[in-house]
Amino acid sequence: MKRFLVPAALAVAYVAVPLAFGGNPYVMGLIVAALTIGGIAVAWALLGNLGGMVSFGHAAFFGVGSYTSAVLSMKLGVPPLAGLLLGGLGAAIASIATMPALRLKGPYFALAILAYAHIFQILATEMTGVTGGAGGLLSIPRFPTLLGVDLGSKTGGYVIILTIVVLSAAAYAAIRRSAWGLALKAMHDTEIATRVIGVPSTHLKAAMLALSAFITGVVGAFNAHFINFLEPDYAFSGAWTVLPIAAAIFGGYRTVWGPVIGALTIYLLDQLVFKELMPHGHQFVLGMLLVGMILLSPGGLAPILGRRLEGGQRHAHA
Amino acid sequence: MLTLDGVQVSFGGVSALKGVSMTVSAGETVGLVGPNGAGKTTLFNVISGIVRPTAGDITFRGHSVLKAPEWKRARLGIGRSFQIARPLHHCTVRENLIVAQRFGAGRVDHERIDEILDLLKLGHKADRDAVSELALTEHKALEVGKALATNPHLLLLDEVLAGLETNGKRAFMEQLALVRDRFNLAMVVIEHDIPTISALCPRVVVLNFGEIIAEGNPGAVFRDPNVVRSYTGEAAA
Repeated sequence: MKRFLVPAALAVAYVAVPLAFGGNPYVMGLIVAALTIGGIAVAWALLGNLGGMVSFGHAAFFGVGSYTSAVLSMKLGVPPLAGLLLGGLGAAIASIATMPALRLKGPYFALAILAYAHIFQILATEMTGVTGGAGGLLSIPRFPTLLGVDLGSKTGGYVIILTIVVLSAAAYAAIRRSAWGLALKAMHDTEIATRVIGVPSTHLKAAMLALSAFITGVVGAFNAHFINFLEPDYAFSGAWTVLPIAAAIFGGYRTVWGPVIGALTIYLLDQLVFKELMPHGHQFVLGMLLVGMILLSPGGLAPILGRRLEGGQRHAHA
Repeated sequence: MLTLDGVQVSFGGVSALKGVSMTVSAGETVGLVGPNGAGKTTLFNVISGIVRPTAGDITFRGHSVLKAPEWKRARLGIGRSFQIARPLHHCTVRENLIVAQRFGAGRVDHERIDEILDLLKLGHKADRDAVSELALTEHKALEVGKALATNPHLLLLDEVLAGLETNGKRAFMEQLALVRDRFNLAMVVIEHDIPTISALCPRVVVLNFGEIIAEGNPGAVFRDPNVVRSYTGEAAA
C-alpha cells in the first residue's frame, strides 16, 4: 500500500485539487501560499537534518531569489520560468557569503545567518538603482501561458509551486538515501570519525547550505512572479523564516514530507478556520496548536500519520 | 612508504612530540609502545592529519602530506582506528563501510564490503545499528573495517586489542594478520600487551615523553634498560 501512496498523493495534488478548487481563486491562493511556505520548510529541514545547521535566516535566501529573478526579468527580459532557476542560483551564490558562518555551531550559526538576512535586506533597500529601494518593484512579469495553460493564474501558479516542492522533496529524499546522506547524518555526532574515512565534512555542509539556499531562492523567485511586486520589508520579512520553521516542526522536520504537510495544515487551518472564528488574534490559536503538537508528538504530524497508515495496513492484512 | 622527519608537536608550551623521526615500509608491521602519555596517540593524530605538527615533515608514498587535511590523507591511503570506537551514528554496520568506501576509496564495491565483513566476522551484524547493537569486539572490528573500506595502504591501529580478554586478543590478532596479508597492508599498531605486540610485529618503536628511546626487534627492545626504566618509572642512569 505504501508504494502507491506517493503516486496517489501526486494524482490528488495534480488533478483532484485543481478540479476541486480551480474555480475558487481565494482558496487556490491560500494553497499556493501554503506550498510557498512548505517549499522553504523543506529547504530549512534539509539544512537542519543533513547539514546539521539550524537557520534563523532563510528569509535572506528567499529575498535574494525574489529580487534576482524579478530584476533579471524586468531589466534584461529573462523569461520568468528561467528566472526561477536563476533566482535559485542567485540565492546559492549569496549563500557563499554566509559560509564563514559554517565555522560556528548551534545558536551562533543560527544568529549569524539571521544577521545576514538583515544585511541583504539593507542592501536591497539601499541599492535603489537595481532594486527600486524601499519603494520596491511593481509589475514584475507574470508567468506565461504554456500549452494553453495560463501559468500566471492561481491554478497555474499552484502547478508551478507544487512542482517546485515535489522536485525539492524528491532531491532531499534522494540525498538522504545516498552515501552523502549517511555521511551527513553521521557527521553531526562523529565528525572526526567521518573525516578520517575521507569525508570532506566542511565541503558537504557547504553543499547542503547552497542547496537549501537554492531551493529557497527558487521559491522566492516563484513568489515574485506570482504576486508581481516586491519590496525589501516584504521579501526579507522574518515571516519567511518563522512560518517555515513552525510548519516544519508541526509537520515533522525529521521527515521529507512533514514540512509540506505541516505548512498545508497550519496555514490552511489558520486562514480558513481560526481566522473565521477569531478575526483578531487567530495566530494565538495557531501558537497553542504548535505547542500542543510539540508536547504530544515532538516528532510532529508526519510520524503520527505514518503510524496510522501502518496500523491500517496491519488491519487490512489481518 | 611513510617517513616522519623531526616531527614536533606542542600543546600550549607542553611538548608532546620532540622531533620524532621514523619510517614504515610497504607491507611492514610496526609496533608502537610506550607508557601512558608517551605521545603514541598524538603521533597517530599527526600522521592522520587531526593534529598539525609545529615542526618537521611527513611524507607518504613519496609526497609530503603536511598540508593535507584528514579526509585527503584517508583518500591517499592512510587508514586509522580510534582507541575508543567511533562508529558512524544513525548507520548500520554495512552503511558504515559504504560511507567509508564511497568517500575514502571513491566508489562503493559491495564485493569488497562483503569480504571485509566476513574477514572481521561482522557478516551476521551487517544490518544492525552500529552504535547500539554491537559487542566490544565487534566495535573494535568495525573500527578496523571502516579503515579497510577506504582501501588503505597503511593502517594505524590505536589500542584496537585493548579491553579484550586473552583468547579474544589472540583471535583478533589472527584476524588482523589475515587482513594485513590479504590486502598487503603496512600497519602501525599501538598496544600495551608485550606478548601480543611481540607476536604481531617484527619491529617495535618505543616512545617516552615524546621521544623515540628504542627501536628494533621486540626481543632486544623489551630487554633494553632504557625501555625497562621507562615502564618502571626509574630515572635514567
